[in-house]
Amino acid sequence: MSKSKPPDGDLLQGTLDMLILRTLLLGPAHGHSIAYSIERRSSEILQVEHGSLYPALYRLEDRGWIAAFWGTSENNRKAKYYRLTPAGKKQLIAETDRWERLATGISRILRPTAEERA
Amino acid sequence: MSWRRYFRRNRRDAESARDLEFYLEQETADNIARGMASDEARAAARRKLGNATAVREEIHRMNTIGFIDNFWRDAVYALRSMRKNPVFTVTAVLTLALGIGGNTAMFTVIRAVLLKPLEFRDPDRLVYYSMDNARRNVHDTQFTPDRLTQMRAAARSFAALGAYGANPENPSLSGEGDPLSLRGARVSANFLDVLGVAPALGRSFLPEEDARGGPAVAMIGNDLWRRHFGADPAIAGRTVTLDSTPTTIVGVLPAGFAFPFSGIDVWLPRPSEWSLLPPRFWGISLLMGFGRLKPGVTLDQARAETTVLTEQYNRAHRTMDSDSTMRIVWLKDRLVSNVRGMLWMLFGAVGFVLLIACANVAGLLLARATSRSREFAVRAALGAGRSRLIGQLLAESLVLATAGGALGAIFAKWSLSALQSVSVLNQPAVSNALYVPGASGMRVDAMVLGFTIALSLITGVVFGLFPSLEMSRPDLADVLRESGVGAGRASSGKRGTLGISPRALLVIGQVALSVVLLIGAALLMRSFARLHSVNTGFQTSNLLTMKIALPPSRYNTDPRRAAFFSDLVQRVETLPGARSAAVAMSLPTTRWIRTNITSVQGQPLPETNDPTFGVIQSVTPGYFRTLGIPLRRGREFTARDNMAGAPPVMMINESLAHLLWHDYPQGPNPVGQHISEGYDKLVGMMEVVGIVADIHEGGLASDVVSEFYLPCVVHPPQNAYLVVRTPGDPLKLGNSVRSQVAAIDRDQSVSEIRTMETVYEDTLGQRRLTMQLLGSFAGVALVLALIGLYGVIAYSVAQRTHEVGIRRALGAQQGDILKLVLGQGLGLTLAGVVLGIGGAFALTRVMKTLLFQVSATDPLTFAGIALLFVIVALAASYIPAWRASRIDPMAALR
Repeated sequence: MSKSKPPDGDLLQGTLDMLILRTLLLGPAHGHSIAYSIERRSSEILQVEHGSLYPALYRLEDRGWIAAFWGTSENNRKAKYYRLTPAGKKQLIAETDRWERLATGISRILRPTAEERA
Repeated sequence: MSWRRYFRRNRRDAESARDLEFYLEQETADNIARGMASDEARAAARRKLGNATAVREEIHRMNTIGFIDNFWRDAVYALRSMRKNPVFTVTAVLTLALGIGGNTAMFTVIRAVLLKPLEFRDPDRLVYYSMDNARRNVHDTQFTPDRLTQMRAAARSFAALGAYGANPENPSLSGEGDPLSLRGARVSANFLDVLGVAPALGRSFLPEEDARGGPAVAMIGNDLWRRHFGADPAIAGRTVTLDSTPTTIVGVLPAGFAFPFSGIDVWLPRPSEWSLLPPRFWGISLLMGFGRLKPGVTLDQARAETTVLTEQYNRAHRTMDSDSTMRIVWLKDRLVSNVRGMLWMLFGAVGFVLLIACANVAGLLLARATSRSREFAVRAALGAGRSRLIGQLLAESLVLATAGGALGAIFAKWSLSALQSVSVLNQPAVSNALYVPGASGMRVDAMVLGFTIALSLITGVVFGLFPSLEMSRPDLADVLRESGVGAGRASSGKRGTLGISPRALLVIGQVALSVVLLIGAALLMRSFARLHSVNTGFQTSNLLTMKIALPPSRYNTDPRRAAFFSDLVQRVETLPGARSAAVAMSLPTTRWIRTNITSVQGQPLPETNDPTFGVIQSVTPGYFRTLGIPLRRGREFTARDNMAGAPPVMMINESLAHLLWHDYPQGPNPVGQHISEGYDKLVGMMEVVGIVADIHEGGLASDVVSEFYLPCVVHPPQNAYLVVRTPGDPLKLGNSVRSQVAAIDRDQSVSEIRTMETVYEDTLGQRRLTMQLLGSFAGVALVLALIGLYGVIAYSVAQRTHEVGIRRALGAQQGDILKLVLGQGLGLTLAGVVLGIGGAFALTRVMKTLLFQVSATDPLTFAGIALLFVIVALAASYIPAWRASRIDPMAALR
């Protein structure tokens, strides 16, 4: 029953969570548009199976980082919209920080050193 | 929280489905907008989304609590498979219900009596005190009012000290209608303060009501108040006639209050004013004490202080008990001291029964699981992990245990009410036995149900784990390769520790446990038989007895009492249906009075540790004839001996004759010698006119005592017993005797109308109950163990059909096969019996106090039970053995 525990160290899952949160920073959106938004904004580098987004959405909602409500879509259908909560906003900042530190660290390792180049 | 999510998961699932559906619609719409055909657009949308069902399942899983979900499924499956196997199910559930029910019932009793604190304020501060005398070898006996006064004045360990008269009284309540014989207790005025109990109505006694010559006041029990006074709210202050004395009822005690004896109707102050004795003796040792320790004072501190005070008192007062010591124990410990050992022993025994039941069901499950090994292999092959297999088997056993527990709780409730109706806890054999706390409050409540539930769960795990561990590692390839019929063989061939299969171990354990129980029960039964074969010394059949307590207020002089009893005997003897009648101070088993022989003419008194070596009996002349006590020498009392002013005479029993004249029956003839005794008045030298045989005055389990008899006129008792010998059923005469009493004195009540056989039987109540309970536990254990043994043998025969076929084909005779199978049963039984005898050897000593003239390790009982068990075990294995011997080799091998 460790399902509500945040999966620390799970880079990919954490990353997807972060991307969703980042997307919702711009305003409430439904699952479909979140999926496309992530795809578009990563210049189509991140190809996620859109279905896998939904468990992530559910998890984030469960943790209180996003909230869901039923609204009407652009083409007048009932759709489940997600929006960022204050807790989610805080989480996004923390996640972004963590990500940046991680990315800096990794890129330092990956960047060839002077000796190697020589 | 996850539990909330668990119960809302179906709604959540619907939501997920709608959410995903919206995605598909949106994506399809977008695809169409991109120019796809609608079918293609929908398909592309699905591809983009991925497996929607898998997504929903993933979300659904996040909402479930894994093991509950599995358990639920397993439980439903278990119920289904139980329904398919009704015989197995009924056997297992009934077995468990017996075990769990018995344990629940015993736990209820133990909890009510032993575990619950007394229903008084701060009960863990209450103590009980009385006297011990090592020299005279008497323990837990009474003390004088002077000691109480000294203790109260000097002791600093106690917040309060109280006392009660060691013997209950029988006051008559007269007024309207027939006089009512009540059960009364004399207590110090502060008794409710010491215990911390408030009266339900009115007030408690006042200190001045404890002083000699204080006013006639009484408090009454809740039961009497409701039964006799119609719960009159204005009862306090009302005056009633108690023992012909106008007595003011000052208060009513709360319902269920029973201190210090059970079934007390009326409490009187002035504990040393025992109505059986004339006032000038109210200074002798008649009291037992209870008190409350001051906060922070330990029992040891109180003991130390009391020891010092007792020594001081003993130095200042040179009396008969001036070498006595005071004992102080916790009140609760004293109240339950008579039943504690018995209850724990029975709880242990019923625990054994549960273990045997568990082993039995485990054996059944194991057998079933073995025959299901193919099913398990298939499950394992399909990907079920070991934990899932164990889980499934555990679920099955928990379902069984739950059903057994539910049935067991009903069984416990039923057996408790049966137990309560015969309970010796409520009706102690000895009239002055202290009440047993909680005896009337035994019921199945939430705590007991909790115990049952916990017990059922533990039971389920215990007997379920054994087969599950065994079955959860099937050797897949092996089992699956086998054809359907022999599928179980691969795993059943597996041997556990020491090359013995787990089922065999279970059976050995069962046999051992039931042998222990059987030996315990047999020891009790032998004791009981010994008790019943004890010769009481007289003819106990066809004797009617009843108690007559003359109120001291009206019958305050010896002549009045003597006249009453003479008149009564005369009237009763004229009744048709009465052969003879007599009045005596005490009946066998009722409390006797010990006193001392002060001198024997012409020789010194014998050297004894106990100066009060003689039991005094005051009887009317017909006593020996009525009871049928044989006369050994001399003559019985005559009517002339029982007349005022007659020359003083005495009769003695053979024990006393032997004590005073060591050479008796040789040597000088005691008849014609003169003795003086020291009971309540000095009568002077009395001539011994006759010697009678000894009788068991103290009940069947006690030794005979030295005893002397005086004519009633010398010491006419205040409380006496009437005995009437009848040709037929003695109880038929009860009413006509009662009316004769009323004819003499309209206000005089009688009580305790019993046959003499009942008088003796009543002293055996606790033994009988223990024997019956232990006997039934042992019986259940025996049956269960035999079922277990039969199951193992029958199963192994079924498993070895093939082998037996080969043996037969190779020339083994039917007798050889019979021997083979019987040998297997005998081996298991012998192993169990040996273990059981060892266990019994270690355990039966706990029942030493319940045994009578039988050693706790009685070799005859041990050997007898072992033999009995071997015989019935052979009988149980004979059926499968016979079946095995009839196996047709052709059919078995085909």
